Amino acid sequence: MQEKKLASLSGRRRLGNIFTYIGLSLISVIWITPFVFLVLQSFDVSSTGLTGNVWPEKWGLGNFAYLFSADCNFLQWYFNTFIIALAVCVGQTIMQIMMAYALSRFRFRFRKGLMNVMLVLGMFPGFLTMIVLYEVLKTMGFTGDNSVPGLILVSIASSGMGYYVAKGFLDTMPKSLDEAAMVDGANRFQVFYKVIMPLCKPIVIYIILTSFMGPWGDYIFAATLAKGASAGMNVATGLTSWLSAANVAGYFKYFCAGGVIVAIPVIILFLFLQKYYVEGVTGGAVKG
Amino acid sequence: MARVQLIDVKKIYQGKVTAVHDFNLDIADKEFVVFVGPSGCGKSTTLRMVAGLEDISEGECYIDGELVNDLLPKDRHISMVFQNYALYPHLTVFENMAFPLRLDKSLRTDPKTGKQIKGYTQDEIFEKVTEAAKVLDITRFLTRKPKALSGGQRQRVAIGRAMVKDCKVFLMDEPLSNLDAKLRNQMRAEIILLRKRINTTFIYVTHDQTEAMTLGDRIVCMRDGFIMQVGTPAELFDSPDNLFVAQFIGAPMMNTFNTHLNVSGGKYSVELFGVNIPVTGEKGKALAEKKVEAQDILLGVRPEHMTLKIKKDAVSIPVNVEVCEMMGSEIHVHVLTKDNTKIIVRMPTINMSPEEKASLVQGNEVYLSFEPKAMHFFNPENEKSLLAGPNAVNSKGPIILPGHEKAEEQKAEEAPVCGPEKSEEEALKEAKEKKEAKKEAK
Repeated sequence: MQEKKLASLSGRRRLGNIFTYIGLSLISVIWITPFVFLVLQSFDVSSTGLTGNVWPEKWGLGNFAYLFSADCNFLQWYFNTFIIALAVCVGQTIMQIMMAYALSRFRFRFRKGLMNVMLVLGMFPGFLTMIVLYEVLKTMGFTGDNSVPGLILVSIASSGMGYYVAKGFLDTMPKSLDEAAMVDGANRFQVFYKVIMPLCKPIVIYIILTSFMGPWGDYIFAATLAKGASAGMNVATGLTSWLSAANVAGYFKYFCAGGVIVAIPVIILFLFLQKYYVEGVTGGAVKG
Repeated sequence: MARVQLIDVKKIYQGKVTAVHDFNLDIADKEFVVFVGPSGCGKSTTLRMVAGLEDISEGECYIDGELVNDLLPKDRHISMVFQNYALYPHLTVFENMAFPLRLDKSLRTDPKTGKQIKGYTQDEIFEKVTEAAKVLDITRFLTRKPKALSGGQRQRVAIGRAMVKDCKVFLMDEPLSNLDAKLRNQMRAEIILLRKRINTTFIYVTHDQTEAMTLGDRIVCMRDGFIMQVGTPAELFDSPDNLFVAQFIGAPMMNTFNTHLNVSGGKYSVELFGVNIPVTGEKGKALAEKKVEAQDILLGVRPEHMTLKIKKDAVSIPVNVEVCEMMGSEIHVHVLTKDNTKIIVRMPTINMSPEEKASLVQGNEVYLSFEPKAMHFFNPENEKSLLAGPNAVNSKGPIILPGHEKAEEQKAEEAPVCGPEKSEEEALKEAKEKKEAKKEAK
């Protein structure tokens, strides 16, 4: 009797697993199809437009070669994006970690109020402020061809608001470390960079990755600021311009090749830093 | 090496909670003072105020004659060992110990060249760290990171880091609390040796009275932010000023009995469980000198000062054995009197006869007795010792510091006189009226 029960239990579990795996496989296929399509199309040199074939009719690297030719603006867009992402990455990392340290370690008036205000402000979608920011940046001359500094400025200025994960990580670090360093003769800044910063490696890498990824894939704000001026476009805006009704027939394969090249730095970053990324994300939750 | 003075030091958190009240203490140069007390008594807060890790709300703190209230911890010339070691996880043991030396940029004379230099040279750092490591027997761990060390080894590194620095005061905040019992005993002995070697002023915080008794030249026993008594370990053990100190120092806790102190023809006696026990010897003399009158008292007797006998005598109290805890060198015997009062007796096993051992069986009747010199007499109202000096602090009710009695009386007089208690209906009516008034105001 008991054996029968056990057999039915294991059978039910197996059936459950089968359904789970089928469901997960379907989701994976749906998720991965656009990527496979993009990669395959980038190697198709039979035509530069949208052919409708998934498998390339003729394999080649011509689409990639075009991207790096003198006729194409791709390198300019790529360079713009890289500069923006790098500057934002450095700026945001410094701002966020300092903000998190201050909010984690110091007790001052309106500290909680400030944190609550930032929490509420963070709930509003970023594009709500786009029109106002556009007008401000336009006055400063940071639109059109000169939109790169504008994008850097806006991203760094708002970076302190993303302090939550870093603060969670710092909160788990015993305050006695700061106190021991102070007794040992360190001032506040020495405590921060000699003791706290080296221990923050996982969270710093997490911030580097997320702050690099944001501007790397940004489209809406970059497109608004660039206003169609090719020299001020980032890679997402530039590549999307090839998908307009007028261009898609002649540039679709170039778009796919551009998409593949855009993904390469991000893939490399994640491959090398994924260990720290996971530590950073989970650090605040499980440590201490 | 320095004298530390704390004058009327207070710690008030957010203007509301007073964690330390009027703390007055003068610590002599090279003295080892232990702050002891239960959790939340303010001992760590006081230590942190000396270290500069907490602001002093009121009062003054002097180290070596210099007022340090507004000085940063790094400028106070102190070293500190934390309860959780607080080692820097990213640095090796060597770098952990060298950390304070590398940060020290004060002007010094180079021992080799004789020139004025800022901070320590690499050779000096190496020499100081390796010397401290040798003393603490951690030389073989110098290249390891703290996570590769056991608790005891980590604590040694923490002590080493504090040792290498030339400090005026050595502060230790419950440094042995995270260690197991065996290691704690070992480290305690090592701290005694370390103290001899360093020969500086020590302030040590602990909640463990054994540590306090074994380490301290003087003990500061605290409760609720007040100093209950300051004295040598022997003074606190033999002549506690109040019941709190009497019961906090010593394990198991001192037994207490509500009884009456009789005086007849200048001779004192206490009535305990129907037995009249004369107070003779030094204690009787001390009571007579203080001219203590007949009164209700709390009588205290330490478990180690009581004995259990098989045979009854004139001043022994019949009791029944309830529980025996075999501790090895002694037995803790829990006994019950006829009126079910619980008493604990510590009986050393070394001189116990087989008959005596056999008598310690649950339910068996034995006879409790103690010497008059083992008796402690407390006022049941304020729990002060009847033999304590004028500076003794009460341990029951609002704690009144010596010299503040008049102010407390005045406060009590100024306090509003409470009328008869309101009935529930009246209270409800009043609350309703208040609510309505608020609504109208809105």
